[in-house]
Amino acid sequence: MTKGVGTNLEQVLAAGTFAVTAEVGPPRGGDPEAIRRKASFLRGVADAYNVTDNQTAVVRMSSIAGAKILLDEGLEPVMQMTVRDRNRIALQSDLLGAWALGIRNCLCISGDHQKAGAGGKLKGHPGAKNVYDVDSIQLLAVLRDLREQGVQESGDAVDEPVPLFIGAAWTPLAPPEDFRALRLAKKVDAGADFIQTQAVYDVPGFAAAVESAREMELTERTAILAGIIVPRSAGMLRYMNANVPGVNVPDDLIQRMKSAKDPRAEGIAVTVELIEAVRALPGIRGVHLQAIEAEQLLPEVVERAGLLPRPGNK
Amino acid sequence: MVRNVDAVDFEPEIVVLYCQQCVAEDADVAAAAKAVSGFRPRFEVMPCSSKVEASHVLKLIEQGADGVAVVGCPEKRCRFLVGSTMAEKRIEYARGLLDEIRMGAERLGMDRASQLSAARLVEIAEHRAAAARALGPNPMKGATGP
Amino acid sequence: MIVAEWKPIAELVQMLRGHKKVLLAGCATCVAECASGGEREVETLAPLLRMAMQVDGNPIQIRTKTLERQCEWEFVEELAEIVPEVDAIISIACGIGIQALAERFPDLPVYPGVNTTSLAIREEPGLWAVRCAACGDCVLGDTYGLCPIARCAKSLMNGPCGGTRSDGKCEVDEDVDCVWNLIVERARARGKMQELTEFRKAKDWSNSGHGGPKRILREELRP
Repeated sequence: MTKGVGTNLEQVLAAGTFAVTAEVGPPRGGDPEAIRRKASFLRGVADAYNVTDNQTAVVRMSSIAGAKILLDEGLEPVMQMTVRDRNRIALQSDLLGAWALGIRNCLCISGDHQKAGAGGKLKGHPGAKNVYDVDSIQLLAVLRDLREQGVQESGDAVDEPVPLFIGAAWTPLAPPEDFRALRLAKKVDAGADFIQTQAVYDVPGFAAAVESAREMELTERTAILAGIIVPRSAGMLRYMNANVPGVNVPDDLIQRMKSAKDPRAEGIAVTVELIEAVRALPGIRGVHLQAIEAEQLLPEVVERAGLLPRPGNK
Repeated sequence: MVRNVDAVDFEPEIVVLYCQQCVAEDADVAAAAKAVSGFRPRFEVMPCSSKVEASHVLKLIEQGADGVAVVGCPEKRCRFLVGSTMAEKRIEYARGLLDEIRMGAERLGMDRASQLSAARLVEIAEHRAAAARALGPNPMKGATGP
Repeated sequence: MIVAEWKPIAELVQMLRGHKKVLLAGCATCVAECASGGEREVETLAPLLRMAMQVDGNPIQIRTKTLERQCEWEFVEELAEIVPEVDAIISIACGIGIQALAERFPDLPVYPGVNTTSLAIREEPGLWAVRCAACGDCVLGDTYGLCPIARCAKSLMNGPCGGTRSDGKCEVDEDVDCVWNLIVERARARGKMQELTEFRKAKDWSNSGHGGPKRILREELRP
């Protein structure tokens, strides 16, 4: 499994420890304190921390900048790179720059189309020109070739190889379901060392998908971390179930949040149960935790799930 | 463009494009038209309301008609099956255009009915005349030609 | 066909203010097929514009002519006898035709009455949907005749993203089918899903507009 990059996330996974990654949303502004504040209460909670890349096509501080700030705070970042906004020239240039700054994990994703715009609350930039020069799988291959062969997409060499620990996303429950494991295989072939999945609430459905991946030996070749979003309310779950492809929320979970006297506590309890459930699935090597605009819930979640202390307590 | 009704005192010119299938066989439209007062109707018969294009009704209004009424057969009664339904869609489209250019969507309308007497047809024209009065005389009256 | 759509009338009124007599030029080919710029649309737009300009306080005269195609110089020439009478042209052909008129008649303004938007097919009466993005590197043989460049919002080449809704529509537009879902369906029907795991490398966009303004020279057809 190790590609010799040497990141903490890579080492934790190589040791067979159940890994924890957490998502950090950068601010809609240029204040580094926003990231430092989150770093201060997330320190020691995860093995690596994802910094999103203009999620939902809303302009935020760049993932690379956010990742560098985390690095300076002593946390290991996972930078995220969508293919929505940058062509292959800019993507490769930013990879070299990120590497120069000490960033070593990178998640390659398609990215939400600019028409998404934060669900209509913000104006966003729906009129922005499309880039999508390469897709996420082609980007994976770019990172792989930069690392393994020290070449750019064009075939031109770079001065020295760029070892990055390469990640990709997986949404196993979106249609066409029977193709999703094959698409995962494509991502692994293109270089994905680790996978962070779309949010899991339907454990049996997810388990079946992971089993298909296992049958194709994908769970040995790549480390799958199950994505888990902390529920805050029944409304939030209902919204995701109806509007986010690949997120299926069972009715009883929605009812549970609805009738909860203390939604905050219930949400944490649900999250802990989900972590335990996916942990039991063969082939799942960790969890990727997200608490959107509520990262302060994560320390409690990780503690109650029995996942503390993290190895090396980094 | 809606003008104060009290300030306006004119006899609207109303063109009625009606499908020959809508009116009762014995309807004497010409006679009924002559007996009208308060507005000036012009009745034109068509083989089917679907003959009407948006361009036709827009031209009638551009040439000075204060209102245009299109009359077609009800759903399921059109001899050409979907003719009057398609006409209705075109009339709705043309109404939207009239609204967009601030001429007043209400200058144009479509009614769907069958077995109309001449008197009923005149009533439809009267309804359109009332809408036209509320909007005021067509600003295209006296405008230079194409 | 090339599909264009009318600009808002308010925008056209703004363009035509200050002109006394204009020529409204239509085209009987692509834009007629998509009900935007053919003779029927000319006959609809002309009275509409006359009324709009009158209401605007800037009455205007409009001559009309619909050419077979505005992208053919010999048809464009038919306008030469009308042009001396007018002080501007407004064309509802696609951007190609509008520019042809502007090139042939450089001494007066030529305004676009439409926005040219796509290369599309009429799926059903009243419904047009894009089919081609003129990417210059056609992959339809690999995707069972369904174009992922034009019909996928992200122009993905290696399968669907995670945004396929449960009803098979695209998360970007709920009226649009996820084209990759359709491609997989066809592959599945032919027993060829495994072939879709083949890696499709990054596209060479240089043969399209991305490579600069296109110029195609065919020596054997030159006089």
